[in-house]
Order: sequence, then C-alpha cells, then structure tokens
Amino acid sequence: MNKPPDITQPLNDNDSPLDPSQAAALLEQATQQARRSLTAITPQIWAFRALVVLVAFGSFWLSVRGQHPYSGPTGTSLLAAFPLVAVNIVWTTHALRRAGTGVSGPAQRRRNAWIGIMLVVWIISYAITAPLYHSGASHPTWALYPASAPLLFIGVAGAVTGAVCRYWRLTAIIGAIGLVAAVAGFGGPVGVWLIMAIGFSAVCLGAAAYLAWQRDHDGVILP
Amino acid sequence: MTDDDLDPLIHVPTRLKIVATLAALPDGDALSFTRLQDIIGLTPGNLIIHLRKLEEAGYVASEKTKNGTAPKTTVALTGTGRTALGAYTQALRNLLGGLNGNGRPTQEDSDQTAF
Repeated sequence: MNKPPDITQPLNDNDSPLDPSQAAALLEQATQQARRSLTAITPQIWAFRALVVLVAFGSFWLSVRGQHPYSGPTGTSLLAAFPLVAVNIVWTTHALRRAGTGVSGPAQRRRNAWIGIMLVVWIISYAITAPLYHSGASHPTWALYPASAPLLFIGVAGAVTGAVCRYWRLTAIIGAIGLVAAVAGFGGPVGVWLIMAIGFSAVCLGAAAYLAWQRDHDGVILP
Repeated sequence: MTDDDLDPLIHVPTRLKIVATLAALPDGDALSFTRLQDIIGLTPGNLIIHLRKLEEAGYVASEKTKNGTAPKTTVALTGTGRTALGAYTQALRNLLGGLNGNGRPTQEDSDQTAF
C-alpha cells in the first residue's frame, strides 16, 4: 500500500517550519511581490501621465492664447507634446505586456476585451474630427471638439464598461477624466486647453498618489 | 490557538509563496509554470515537487496545453486553495494577537492586478 507523502517534512533548509510572525512576514512579502509583478499600471506611470498632459495641453494653451483669429494649436506645440505621448504609449504597452506574460483565464480575457473596446472608442472619437473639418466647421469649433470630446466619450465609455467589469478603481479614475473633459468644454476654444492641462494632470496625480498609498497600506496580515 | 491550527500544507515557506502568488491573480485566472517560477525564484524541480503536493490536496490545478510546438503548463489556485489560504491567514492573524490587516489574500477588486 502506498504511504501518503509527509507534507510537513521539510524538503530542504528553506522549507524548515516557520513561526507565525515569520509566516506572516513571508505571506505579506510574497503577496506584495506577486501584486507588483502582475500589476501593469503603476503609480509611476500615472505620475508620468500627469506630466505628459500638463506639458501637452499646457503647450497647446500657450500656443493658442494670443491668437487672433483663432487657428488652433501650432505645429511647435504639437511637436513638444508628441514625444511625451509616444513615450507614454510605449511605456503603457510594455507594462501591460510584462504584467500579462504567462497569465491566462477569464479575467485576463476580460481585460484584453476592455482594452480593445477603449481603443476602438478612442479611434472613433478622434476619427470624427476629420469629417467635422471637412464639413467646414469653424476653427474654434474644430479645436474645441478634439480638445474635450474624445476624452469625454472615453470617460463615459470607460466608466460604464469598467463598472460592468468591476474595475472600480479604473472606473473612478476614467470617470474623473470624463468629468474634467465635460467641464473643460465650457472653457471655450482657448480655456479648454488650460482646464484640461490642470484638471487631467490633477486626476493622474491623484491616481498615482492613491495607488502608491494603497500599495503601502494593503497588507494581508500586517496593517 | 496554537501553531498546530495552521494548515501544514501551506505552512512551509515555498508552498506559502506559491499559494500567495497564485492568490494575487483574479479568481479563475492561471499562471504559466515559467512565470510562476520566475516570480518565486525556484528551480523547476523544486517547484514541481511543491506543486504536486498542493495539487494532491486540491489547492491548485494545473493544465497542460500545446502552444504551437512547445507544451505549456498553467497553474491556478482552486476555490479550495483560496479558502484554505483565507483560513490560514485568519489563523495567523489570531495567533499574532488580532492584527488588523485587511485580510484580503484574494481578489475583491477585479482591477487589483488587472491594470
């Protein structure tokens, strides 16, 4: 008859029995290490995004505030923004790929589907700019739309789909971005950029601060 | 309450790390053997031995799939494993005099590690 394995028998020196405080510390450490490895969007990414939107929307605002007649953000301001936006996209993509490596299952598929939906919403909301321009919309109208409308659409779509997926943290952050975009629209073609720069940056900084706080206070055993 | 109340299957450093790592995933998700090995820092042989013990107890489930030409093994914490870790965590907390951590070895927020 086969004897069942003795599961309490240490396999080597690393598997000697633990006292409760050692076990608590190890459980805490292993959990935090796993969360760090498996979490894509870190506080650092949100902090960098705060800088990106502050520089990008801020430079747009600086470029349009003295314009008569209004012609929209200048090429120089776009050149200042695009490298930072590109770095943000590359960093985010790399972080998502790193965190998702080797992970499979329904939650992972739901996450990928959510990212796909948000990308489609993003592309559609910006693509509408072209027919708007083509149909002869005035410069202020054409500038106001891409400044706030896409982020308003993304905010609403992201908050709704995020809530369906029970991504509560993300729902709050994206909902706040949508709210900033909605308010910014009332700033007019010049003020919209400043409101977006400050509001969007504040939301990103808030997200970074919350994630950092949660990371330090989300103990399994230890408070 | 004494140390004997701690699940002896989990109360071993390596297996505690394995279970805690798998518990960080949302319920139902699995981790590839190589990624688990990478996170925990174990040799394949050592990891296999511990996984086998956890699998025999029904705490983890492994699945072998064919990914192109290379076979791929994924490992997931089962409901039994999650419950056992929850009970182990509670027992530890009681032994340590009612420390007030949040007691969440499992995922309640779906986006805790999703994003």
